[in-house]
Amino acid sequence: MTEAADSIVTLSGIDKTFYRGKEPIHVLEKLDLDVPSGSFEALMGPSGSGKSTLLNIIAGLDRPTAGSVKVAGSDLTKMSDAQLAKWRSQTIGFVFQSFNLIPVLTAAQNVELPLLLTNLSSAARKKHVETALRVVGLEDRMDHYPRQLSGGQEQRVAIARAIVNDPKIIVADEPTGDLDRKSASDVLTLMDKLNKELKKTIFMVTHDPAAAEHATVQRKLDKGALQ
Amino acid sequence: MNLATYARRNMFRRRGRTILTIIAVVVAVLIFSLIRTAVAAWNAGADEAATDRIATRHKISITMQLPKHYVQELRDTPGVTAATWANWFGAKDPKERIPFFAGFAADQNTWFDVMPEMSVPPEQLADWKSTPNGAILGDLLAKTLEVQVGSKLVLTSDIYPGDWEFKVVGIYTPLRKTVDRNSMIFRWDYLDNDPRAAFSKDQIGWMVSRIADSSQSAEISRRIDAKFDEKDDQTVTMSERAFQLSFLGAFTAVLKAFDYVSLAILLIMTLILANTIAMSVRERTHEYGVLRAIGFPPGHILGFILGESILVALVGGLIGVGLVFLLINNVLGPAMEENMSGFFPYFRAPTSVMVTALAASVVLGAVAGAIPAVLASRLKVTDALRRLD
Repeated sequence: MTEAADSIVTLSGIDKTFYRGKEPIHVLEKLDLDVPSGSFEALMGPSGSGKSTLLNIIAGLDRPTAGSVKVAGSDLTKMSDAQLAKWRSQTIGFVFQSFNLIPVLTAAQNVELPLLLTNLSSAARKKHVETALRVVGLEDRMDHYPRQLSGGQEQRVAIARAIVNDPKIIVADEPTGDLDRKSASDVLTLMDKLNKELKKTIFMVTHDPAAAEHATVQRKLDKGALQ
Repeated sequence: MNLATYARRNMFRRRGRTILTIIAVVVAVLIFSLIRTAVAAWNAGADEAATDRIATRHKISITMQLPKHYVQELRDTPGVTAATWANWFGAKDPKERIPFFAGFAADQNTWFDVMPEMSVPPEQLADWKSTPNGAILGDLLAKTLEVQVGSKLVLTSDIYPGDWEFKVVGIYTPLRKTVDRNSMIFRWDYLDNDPRAAFSKDQIGWMVSRIADSSQSAEISRRIDAKFDEKDDQTVTMSERAFQLSFLGAFTAVLKAFDYVSLAILLIMTLILANTIAMSVRERTHEYGVLRAIGFPPGHILGFILGESILVALVGGLIGVGLVFLLINNVLGPAMEENMSGFFPYFRAPTSVMVTALAASVVLGAVAGAIPAVLASRLKVTDALRRLD
């Protein structure tokens, strides 16, 4: 598969095989994928279809057994673990299902975490953190600990953490899975805003058809292949 | 915020568990320091023994006696500049105000010349020489027995029958911190002339010599022993340090065993710390996966875990050393010196012991955290994210 001129993610011939003992389990087979820059894509599919595995490969958290992975201009299959870690910190913003905030850090400190890997001064980091929390509408909750926030607020802090280092791509794994309908709607509206106003490419795995409706492209993965 | 903020906050995430672990480190540091202090205190006398003094005793045992005329032969030995002698009396206080103290009969004309670290005012020394039943006591012993210069003192003995009456003619004070302040010295001729000591008439317990050149100590000792080799009572001569160490050899062996116990205490402390850190890491594996996902390299995860382990150990070590200083050096030490001066004339935790305890805490904190830290930092990000403990 040739790389389209405006593609930010290009996967070609991706295989991913896990082993249970000596028994191989083929999770992804000969998978090709092109994600245009600035798109909002939703990936759906039944449990065990390989959605999270695909997401992990795009985000540089896992490596394919075979095939080529080009994301934001980098060939991930040729990078070392250390290079991948640095690349992730500069290119990818993560939003997880269960928020994954650090409970002993305040909202602002959680958002600041990715910036500790940069050379920014303390004052510059503070400015970035305030901006990110303002984008998600939580500038008045900076000093709150995660336990003092609602689920929806926690996920918005997690989104602020995902965008604070201005990544090219946001990958979201079931971002509304742990939220009530109202909070889920708020989070999805926020992701719409990130996509439309800040031109972030969003690749979201979800089971929820209502969440997938927010995406501009919906894909379905079944038995390791895109439908 | 910086990376240390995260490590520091993690430390008290499970407050109860961390506090208990810190207490375990504190207790380990206290026990370790107490044992090392006891060993150091025991060895202090030997370590600070005069190098220009040698001691001679019966070859078979310190409990066997030597003929008094050996003293003159000792003085005639080349290299020996002065010699004195003493007999163990086994003194006991009938009122049991002190469980044990060293009481011995010594030569009034030479004892304090050879033992200048026991300081006696000249007029009291002169009184001793003119008072047959005169006794000179250490300042602590005089305080315990509630006597002063001029007091009458009645003691009993483990060796000699009946009551023995003394007149306190002097109080010695130590010029070195390792000098036993709970000893009593009385005149050897007072013992030797008493019919109750007839079985040891003209016998002495041990001799102490000063030598001109301390580097010749071994050679002079060999020369002395050779002199008595062909006689009925052979001798063994050794440095004052070796003599002090051999005096209560069994106790030295016990302290040696304590030495190993102190190391075992540190090992137990390490295992407790390792268990705490392993539990913490297990609970936070998912979180470390999140940190790795957002770009933190394995080295940072290693640093967080090692930092937390070292911090817990350091806090425990500092509190422990603080307590060592307060309890051992200010409470237990003075009490030991007052009541067990014969064994521990100076019982204070040396700086080296406190530094060792603190350094051991930090090093063992790092050792305890090493395995969980390495394992957590090597875990695949996707595997870590799947852990939901």
